Amino acid sequence: MFRTEGLRSNRWRQTTPIPKIAYLAGWVALLAVIPVIYILIRALAGDPELWQRIIQTRLIKLFSNTLLLVLTVTAGTSLLGVSMAWLTERTDVSGRKIFRWLLALPLAIPPYIGAIVHLALLRPRGGLISQWLEGSNLAFIPLPNPTGFWGAAFVLIIFSYPYVFLLSGAAFRSLNVSYDEAARMLGRTPWQTFWQVTIPSIRPGITAGALLVALDILAEYGTVALLRFETFSSAIFVQLAGRYDRSAASILSGVLILLALVILYGELRIQGRAQFTQIGSHWRPATLIQLGKQQIWGFLALLFTVLVSFIIPVGLLLFWSTQGILDHQTFSGMQIGSRGLVSFIYNSIWSSGSAALLAVLFSIPIAIYVVRYPGKVSRLFSRLSQVGYAIPGVVVALSLVMLVNRFLPFLYATPLVVVMAYVVRYIPQAVRSSESAMRQLSPSLEEASRLLKRNAFQTFIQVTMPLILPGLLAGSALVFLSSLKELPATLLLRPAGFETLAVRVWIWSEEGFYFQAAPAALLLVVISIIPLYFLLRRESIFKQ
Amino acid sequence: MKLEIEQLSKRFTGNQYPAVDNITFSMQAHEILAFVGPSGCGKTTTLRLIAGLERPDQGTIHLDQHIISDTRTFVPPEKRNIGMVFQDHALFPHLSVFDNIAFGLRGYTKKVKKDRVLELLKLVDVEALSKRFPHILSGGERQRVALARALAPKPTLLLMDEPFSSLDAHLRLEVREHIRNILKASQSTVIFVTHDQEEALYMGDRLAVFNQGKLEQIGFPEIIFHNSGSRFVAAFMGDSDFVRGKSIPTGYQTELGILKQQNDYSPGTDIEIAVRADDIDFKLNKHGNGRIINRFFRGAFNFYRIELDSGAIVHVFKLHTEIYQPGERVLTYFNAGHPLKIFAR
Repeated sequence: MFRTEGLRSNRWRQTTPIPKIAYLAGWVALLAVIPVIYILIRALAGDPELWQRIIQTRLIKLFSNTLLLVLTVTAGTSLLGVSMAWLTERTDVSGRKIFRWLLALPLAIPPYIGAIVHLALLRPRGGLISQWLEGSNLAFIPLPNPTGFWGAAFVLIIFSYPYVFLLSGAAFRSLNVSYDEAARMLGRTPWQTFWQVTIPSIRPGITAGALLVALDILAEYGTVALLRFETFSSAIFVQLAGRYDRSAASILSGVLILLALVILYGELRIQGRAQFTQIGSHWRPATLIQLGKQQIWGFLALLFTVLVSFIIPVGLLLFWSTQGILDHQTFSGMQIGSRGLVSFIYNSIWSSGSAALLAVLFSIPIAIYVVRYPGKVSRLFSRLSQVGYAIPGVVVALSLVMLVNRFLPFLYATPLVVVMAYVVRYIPQAVRSSESAMRQLSPSLEEASRLLKRNAFQTFIQVTMPLILPGLLAGSALVFLSSLKELPATLLLRPAGFETLAVRVWIWSEEGFYFQAAPAALLLVVISIIPLYFLLRRESIFKQ
Repeated sequence: MKLEIEQLSKRFTGNQYPAVDNITFSMQAHEILAFVGPSGCGKTTTLRLIAGLERPDQGTIHLDQHIISDTRTFVPPEKRNIGMVFQDHALFPHLSVFDNIAFGLRGYTKKVKKDRVLELLKLVDVEALSKRFPHILSGGERQRVALARALAPKPTLLLMDEPFSSLDAHLRLEVREHIRNILKASQSTVIFVTHDQEEALYMGDRLAVFNQGKLEQIGFPEIIFHNSGSRFVAAFMGDSDFVRGKSIPTGYQTELGILKQQNDYSPGTDIEIAVRADDIDFKLNKHGNGRIINRFFRGAFNFYRIELDSGAIVHVFKLHTEIYQPGERVLTYFNAGHPLKIFAR
């Protein structure tokens, strides 16, 4: 029996040629994982004595600091994000349409700019609020310490919750009212329905958002450095920029990446499942909960969140910028030699723009391969290409410094290395956009084109490409936005004299010139809002 | 034009059983051949193998004396000159109706292209829609545009993969008559895939019945219907019920009495007789051989479900005036004007 089966399958197995796209996808996946693998090898090959010293002196402290921050911020963003999504999607609170936009806009503000505003206001000596309190003889009111763990957690929560807000908002929106109605008919109160039906149904959305936040916090450098709370990222940065100790940095990076890979693995698994929650053809929107007299509290919660996370920071940046431009001395301080704001804008835009273009180009073969040739190999390639999510900017920098030095020395100390870092770090975002665009494209369209006498390449150019273009543009907008805000890798990899808006904001504020940094920070936010607006318009909660 | 398929097989990786298992058949020019069978029977895979959208594991496909697929040759779909109408129509959403139809006309002058597109727009009766985009067309219009697009390059063979399945039931009857007239008028050679027996009988000059990757029977509709080659074909194509019995010298001994009919089996063989609702009849009889379990009103007819004493279920048509209640005992008997199909058990 067994034997005939074997013979049979042998006769049947004819070599199906490997599609050419698989090779391209393979190259992209390889490029995406080289930096991680290189760092892991370097970490493992690290001097055992050094390992021991780091484990004894640094590791426990860094591990607990990092984990504590990640857990606190993830929990905080989940709570804040889901509450805001619930208020704007499921209740009749007034102004919810405008709030939906305002709640998503903090994505245009990098957390380190938030931290700068936070410090400029609350610093014990020289902070605006502190000064005002002293001036008004109210100095006895204790101000919270703006730095340290709670400062960092606060800033990161109020600038990261939009991820959870958007994902859980979309999940609320896609819920069919018939689930609610079915639960009510089966004897559940509205409150029981909410906990037993609504929340479990949107849990994949919440978890996916929370895990993305967790990955972001692991990678965050600017905020924790400004607010002096040491995590893996900031420790690695110090090893690299201050002590030039690549061995210690490699070891710390190896541990950090392992931590991030665990989170990424969870996130990828949820992504796979979340695909099945889709809006069916019989979908009807849920009925809104009438808040009645409680409405004012919902409104105030929304208003407070929006004030703290967007209106106050942007308002202050605007105010300081006007003052700075009017004040001659500060204004001339914004010129570095002959270069001014214009050159920072130019550098920011071209480096982020090329990264966006390259990331999307590279993502196309992966997307085509995984969607059109589903299988173990293609799924592996797709996952490998998303490893970038798990490599914090400092680690990308470390790995590229070593790799470029060794294999591409002619690229060393050119802005191209900065672009490479953006591509490695943010290609996962492009891959996801391109994949979801490909998934929405019925394969029969491509097959129809083949039967109408186009070969595979002509089909891609004439049919596939025009139809997935909006998805590709979204991917590039996402990569552009992320690259624009990127800080640690840019700081570590940039050649002398290559300054972007993010770099300049950072240098000025590290030196304490918060007001001087304001126009550059404001420009960064304004430029970020453009791709962000384009991206948000595609979100289901902003469509009526 | 002639399509010849020999020993065609395809198994998808990870599946234990082949999707298409050693299929051989041929067809002539201007013929409409309907592939019919339950879902997962291999009819669509066979179609895609002919189109070149899948690679066969083994077997040969000849089209017009050319080998388009065998173990060494694989002509890519764009070089086969085969047209296809897809289940979801697959009209390019970024192109107008005109440009969709013109898409397959490569290498012709603008004038020739335009004339051919206009000719087709007229053939399928959508001249007014030429500048529209697919998303605003109705289901029936999309259907006809998809057909026009597939016919435009004058394919040697046209494949249609469940083209009516996305249409509403009432629209389907209307559209299929229209489409069949167009196919006949354009003298197309067509393979038409459907899972609906009635549609297959309507559309096909001949029928090919598929089951579990195998071609069960191919032939004219009347033959398939009245002289089914296998128990599966009788059950699937004719909604037959089966009555068990034994072969005897004068015919067959069954629960419904003796069926006198030419007998090819040696006496004593266990057999099954395929019976349709118009092949048998019943009358009320307290000492009969079964009882009515349900009555379904079908307009001109009453359709009775009867449970025989052995537990077998059969169905009987009666005029709409003949109404009996469920639970009544009946005597069921053969009442066919033609020989019935017998299968060995």
